[in-house]
Amino acid sequence: MKTQSQAKTLTLSDITELNAANSATLRDEARAALQKDLTTIDVNLSQTRFVDSSGLGMLIALHKTMVGRGGSVRILNPTPSVQQILELTRLHRVFEIVKTT
Amino acid sequence: MNVILQLAADGSAVPALLRKGPLALVPFLGQTVLEHALAGLAAEGVKRVRLEAGGHADQIRAVVGRGEAWGLALEISPTAATPDDFLPARSVTLDQLPQLPQQPLWRSYRDWYAAQQSLLPDLARQRVGTREVSPGVFVGLRSQIAPDAILSAPCWVGANVFVGSRAAIGPGTVIEDGSYIDTGAEIVGSIIGPHTYVGAYTEVRESFARGNELLKLDTGTLTEVTDRFLLGELRGQKRWLGGMPAALRNLWRRLPRPVAT
Repeated sequence: MKTQSQAKTLTLSDITELNAANSATLRDEARAALQKDLTTIDVNLSQTRFVDSSGLGMLIALHKTMVGRGGSVRILNPTPSVQQILELTRLHRVFEIVKTT
Repeated sequence: MNVILQLAADGSAVPALLRKGPLALVPFLGQTVLEHALAGLAAEGVKRVRLEAGGHADQIRAVVGRGEAWGLALEISPTAATPDDFLPARSVTLDQLPQLPQQPLWRSYRDWYAAQQSLLPDLARQRVGTREVSPGVFVGLRSQIAPDAILSAPCWVGANVFVGSRAAIGPGTVIEDGSYIDTGAEIVGSIIGPHTYVGAYTEVRESFARGNELLKLDTGTLTEVTDRFLLGELRGQKRWLGGMPAALRNLWRRLPRPVAT
């Protein structure tokens, strides 16, 4: 995973899978990169082939952290199958989903 | 009248429906497409049907037998060779149903869905044990619907289905036999395949869910859901002799062994 912070946004990208095996690591990495003044986390899921409930749990954990400090988590360009999982679990109503392509 | 029934030749537009067998055995309003086709032919007065099943003969025979259920003499053959005493015969291809001759089934997932929507009220009224609980809402035998679940027409709930509290089903939805819709799930414009578990508070829209596979009808995106509390197959895998060999092997491993000295 790549993390990149710019202005008040932290962008997480290069995620191929978001599952039980790596979600805890990714969450800790994201939290470590989280500086005080950041208000938005953009999670780029355009290369993600697979998400399971642990991966969704990680997104919700980040969402809780950010809401606690008045910010938000956005999801960028989810792949069609990730989009399906988000819709199945109704998380597309929780996260702002941004499609730029 | 004799009929030579041929399986649909081209399933390239609907590859996700081919994953568990031929298109003829795809679920369609409580049965398979082939079963409805045979019922339609029998209703037209057909007496003998010869089915050219290719490599799927055994799988198809297991579902339709010899056609007794429709009063037909059904022969299933892997080859296209027709004996002379069968002629003259009309040739029918399973690209559409006899009940709905103008509507192709396999040009897209939407076609297959639309054909079910067109035939839903008629087939529901013909099905033994199915009740119309409110206009356009059909519920099959031995299904349990929670009193606070909401069913919106048109909607087909098969036999042995459980619909949990505050679940919302329909409009435009088919729940096939033996499925379990958990609390608060919302299903709109979709088809839930047989023996499928749909998890609590999930939302299925414009999709076909069968086992753990979720197919978007418009885009054809197919996703396998790995979390069984969201979506999964209800039928357990059949084990040889009920799993007894595995249990015996396990017991053998646990037996106390003499310690080597």
